[in-house]
Amino acid sequence: MAASTTCLRCLRSRALPAASNRAFSVLNRPPPNYPGHVPLTGPERLFLAAGSALMSFIDPRRGDMIALLGETTAQPFFITRLRDTMLRHPTGRRILRARPRITSQSLSLPRLRSLPPNTIGATYVAWLDREGVSPDTRADVRYIDDEECAYVMQRYRECHDFYHAITGLPIVREGEIALKAFEFANTGLPMTGLSVFSALTVKADERERLLKVYLPWAVRNGMQAESVLNVYWEEELETDVGEMRERLGIEVPPDLRTARAEARRRKRDGKTTTTTATTAAAGTAPTGDETAKVETEAERAEREQLEIERKAMEILEQADKM
Amino acid sequence: MLRRSLRIGAPLLHSLEPVQRAPRLSPSNIDRAIQKFSSQNARCISTSAYRRKAEAGNSTTGSRGAVDPDELSHFNALASTWWDAQGPSRLLHLMNPMRINFAKHCLQMHPTSATADAGGGESPFSKGLRVLDVGCGGGIFSESIARLPETSHVVGLDPSEQILAVARAHAKKDPTLTGKLQYINSTIDDYPSDHQVDLLTLFEVVEHVPYPAAFLQSCMRHVRPGGWIVLSTIARTWSSWFTTKLVAEDLLRIVPRGTHDWHKYINENEMRAFFEKQPGWGAQGMLSMGCLYVPGFGWKAVKGSEHIGNYFFGVRRDMQ
Amino acid sequence: MWHENIDHANVINRTKTTMRQTLLRLPTRNSVWAFRASRPAQIASTRRSFASEASPSPEVYDVVVVGGGPVGLTLAASLGAARTTSHLKVALIEGMDLAPIRNWSPKPDYFANRIVSLIPSTVRLLKEIGAWKHIQQNRVQSYDGMQVWDGMTGARVEFDWNKLWGGKDEQTDTTIAHMVENIHLSHGLLKAIGDLAVQPTMIDKTKVERIQYGEMTGQLDMRDWPVVTLSTGQQLAARLLIGADGGNSPVRTFAGIESRGWDYDRHSMVATFKIEDDSAFPKFAYQRFLPSGPVAILPLPGNFANLAWSTTPEKVTHLKSLAPEDFVAMVNAAFRLSYTDIDYLHNLKSGVVEETKWRESVTQHPDPPQIPVRITEVLDGTRASFPLKMRHADKYIAERIALVGDAAHTIHPMAGQGLNSGIGDVYSLVKSLAEGIRHGQDVGSSFTLEPFQSERYLPNNALLGFVDKLHTLYGFESGPLVPLRSLGVEIINRDWFGLKRFLMSQAAKS
Repeated sequence: MAASTTCLRCLRSRALPAASNRAFSVLNRPPPNYPGHVPLTGPERLFLAAGSALMSFIDPRRGDMIALLGETTAQPFFITRLRDTMLRHPTGRRILRARPRITSQSLSLPRLRSLPPNTIGATYVAWLDREGVSPDTRADVRYIDDEECAYVMQRYRECHDFYHAITGLPIVREGEIALKAFEFANTGLPMTGLSVFSALTVKADERERLLKVYLPWAVRNGMQAESVLNVYWEEELETDVGEMRERLGIEVPPDLRTARAEARRRKRDGKTTTTTATTAAAGTAPTGDETAKVETEAERAEREQLEIERKAMEILEQADKM
Repeated sequence: MLRRSLRIGAPLLHSLEPVQRAPRLSPSNIDRAIQKFSSQNARCISTSAYRRKAEAGNSTTGSRGAVDPDELSHFNALASTWWDAQGPSRLLHLMNPMRINFAKHCLQMHPTSATADAGGGESPFSKGLRVLDVGCGGGIFSESIARLPETSHVVGLDPSEQILAVARAHAKKDPTLTGKLQYINSTIDDYPSDHQVDLLTLFEVVEHVPYPAAFLQSCMRHVRPGGWIVLSTIARTWSSWFTTKLVAEDLLRIVPRGTHDWHKYINENEMRAFFEKQPGWGAQGMLSMGCLYVPGFGWKAVKGSEHIGNYFFGVRRDMQ
Repeated sequence: MWHENIDHANVINRTKTTMRQTLLRLPTRNSVWAFRASRPAQIASTRRSFASEASPSPEVYDVVVVGGGPVGLTLAASLGAARTTSHLKVALIEGMDLAPIRNWSPKPDYFANRIVSLIPSTVRLLKEIGAWKHIQQNRVQSYDGMQVWDGMTGARVEFDWNKLWGGKDEQTDTTIAHMVENIHLSHGLLKAIGDLAVQPTMIDKTKVERIQYGEMTGQLDMRDWPVVTLSTGQQLAARLLIGADGGNSPVRTFAGIESRGWDYDRHSMVATFKIEDDSAFPKFAYQRFLPSGPVAILPLPGNFANLAWSTTPEKVTHLKSLAPEDFVAMVNAAFRLSYTDIDYLHNLKSGVVEETKWRESVTQHPDPPQIPVRITEVLDGTRASFPLKMRHADKYIAERIALVGDAAHTIHPMAGQGLNSGIGDVYSLVKSLAEGIRHGQDVGSSFTLEPFQSERYLPNNALLGFVDKLHTLYGFESGPLVPLRSLGVEIINRDWFGLKRFLMSQAAKS
């Protein structure tokens, strides 16, 4: 016993936890835990998180910044929790064990295009085609220290387009925001939650609709549904979207297109009525010119709004592509 | 001096029986008690006073001359709770190990002579130690000394038949006491035995006796040469008046009024002076030990406290 | 949010356990008792009817010990060994057969699954009463280091005398505890009893039928003496009746002393293993706190080790149902994988070996000696379990009654203090009896027994409370207490304020 105690200290150094969990300085950066890994010091991580948040705000098209924000804010707690969610689920465990990657090689896109339109595969490929992106455009994870957690981040990123397919939210701004909220409630990754703040930039009536209808739907479904990370998408390409939704426990979201059209119509009617009342009060007969002018103004307002929405969509799409 | 004697560590030996008739406590009561104290001078243990009273007493109460009838009725009232572990006699029970210790200590002073009968040895008591426990009450000490393997025979004396009934009933609970412990309803004057004992004990007795000198002399006759009288009592001081009379009887009323007559208390130096005057006593051993009851800790022997409150006193009858 | 629910559930679980509930609970080692507990009212009625029964007069004993487990045997041996108490007439009653324990001869490549950890003060007492010399030292494993860590955060305390004092000090006993098989200890105690000059009456394979109060005869009043009637019809009157009769103590029930506490809804799984060669490392005890309960590996001589895994009854059932190789993989995983993984593995009926191999390859975990070396094999028939509970009797003594060991207090085994505190009770009780005898007191009188109770009650209560709080504290998987407890562990581990030294010296002293 006495003899063995002398070597305790050297044994101890062997027993220290893996390098990445320890504090280090930039002068003795430990070797990467996996190819492409960049171990960060605490201050570096903080700096990168703040910087990427700022850059994403200034220029929402910087997908790399949004990705960086996603990685630097997910560690240590959130990504571990997401990993544990997968570990608790047989399919999640299977994914973690096999570590499949979604690339244009792993998925046969032509075959997906040939699937019936209500299948997950067809919906997914339709999204890719419309956006003109390929699965290969997803960046590699670099700043998550644990190799397995890095894979979880990668998987989340690569599967994002499938989430569109199963939630059935349309690719309009409110739909995107609602999907981000859904993801936040479902995965708990901070970046998705931060993206929901873009709801602040939408117009008042849309914000009201979001707050009253879509965000509650997203939060409720995101929390009650099985984790979307636990779906082996590669095996579910021929599954009916509705069936998958039922399996995960996701309610059909309110029809956003109809709601928007309805709201727009109501708005237009309301404006016309107001104009009529005003002119009636003025006691003068409405002229065709004036009517045309009013209509032009309404049209311009709508056009402006559409312009803003388009810009916002760009931001959100960038976020999707990170 | 006065302040010092009023400090904590109050010796509070006496029976804590709940008060039957609640005495009214008024400032005048306290005044009266203080006056009593102030008028007190050193108590003289007088033999002649006892003789006169004893002779007078004999005509009315038969052989109970050394016993105060009030004291008798007081202890009769205590009989039923004597062995109740949480009862009024709890403090006496807790003091008992100290009595044994002190008695052993006395007998150990002369192991060769005091235990000569049984051939000496390490044991403080000779095999066949004979004990006379005067004023044995319910038998707290009598039983425990009788259980010691060194003891051959114990006689417990008490003037109250009622309390002896309690003692006898309790002794029946322990088969080892059968034939070893005997209770006799008698005063020391009337105790018929001519057998002298190795140890005569007087625990918490002398303060209840009207004429202690004569009483002690009666006891001395029953001790063989080389044997011991071991007693415990309370010194007559400000402190004992404060704790046993004012606090226990008047203020807290945990002791019925009149349990103690403070004037009957005897100081250690008075006791010592008395035995020094007795021929054939104390030349080979006279010692005392003060003790205090500290609530939460029990009885503690404290050097010098024999001049404050409760104390043990042991005196040996010379061998010649 | 759910923590509050848990708390609430605990409160409900911890409502007072009545005597009746205690009796309804499955007995463990007391299943040997055919005793039908009498409630006080029944005792009174039997006493009344007793006088009319024509019964043989009971044999009178000074001390009757009910229960021949390690605590009861230690008591009998201590009474006989101490000079002051050696003259007492003592009887010990045990329901099981003591002969197999007396004639126990161990196989060198086998260790039993019930192991106790004896702290130095316990060993000192065993030496004093002559039992330790009958313990085969090659079957005892002492350890002077402990590794304790949090299964959720990894926060760790290393208790290692050698590291703390910067090397071994010859003056200080650096042993934290000695691991001994239960049967080995009982064997040594029986031998020590056999060596006594005055032999206690050992009555085994005999059940206690009933306990009543004695009767009044012409010469004797035995109405406050407990009289034990055995299944053989024999009657023993006890000056002092000592309950060393376990958690469901019939003696305690007879005395009408209530025992309060709660069940943990946890079972302790035990097993004995062969392990990889660990000669390169010091012998340590390892304990990892998982939210379901602590899992511990305790060292045995050579390449053997013992498991004590406290977890839910369902998980224990699962562990017992696994194939040996899967069970071994499960236990190795318990010290290496995340709680999420361990929890998941409990759902697998087979294939644990496969699954853990993959998980361990992707999980960062410390290496020996921070964690135990791998176990390689579970010894046949050593997988067993018992339910965990916390109980404390309202008092340890009544007139002519004393309770020691589990009869007085039942503790969660995570600190390995159950038997040690029972033997602490014995030490204190024998001391009190000796003191009483020296002063001529009846050994059954409450004045004799009071010092025992006042010496033991509060320390036992503090220990029970501390271990119970630890159980609660480490039951949380997440929430504010998780980082706080890790911070506390950090502070202890760095020996700030001398806390670690203090804890270790206390553990050695108690």
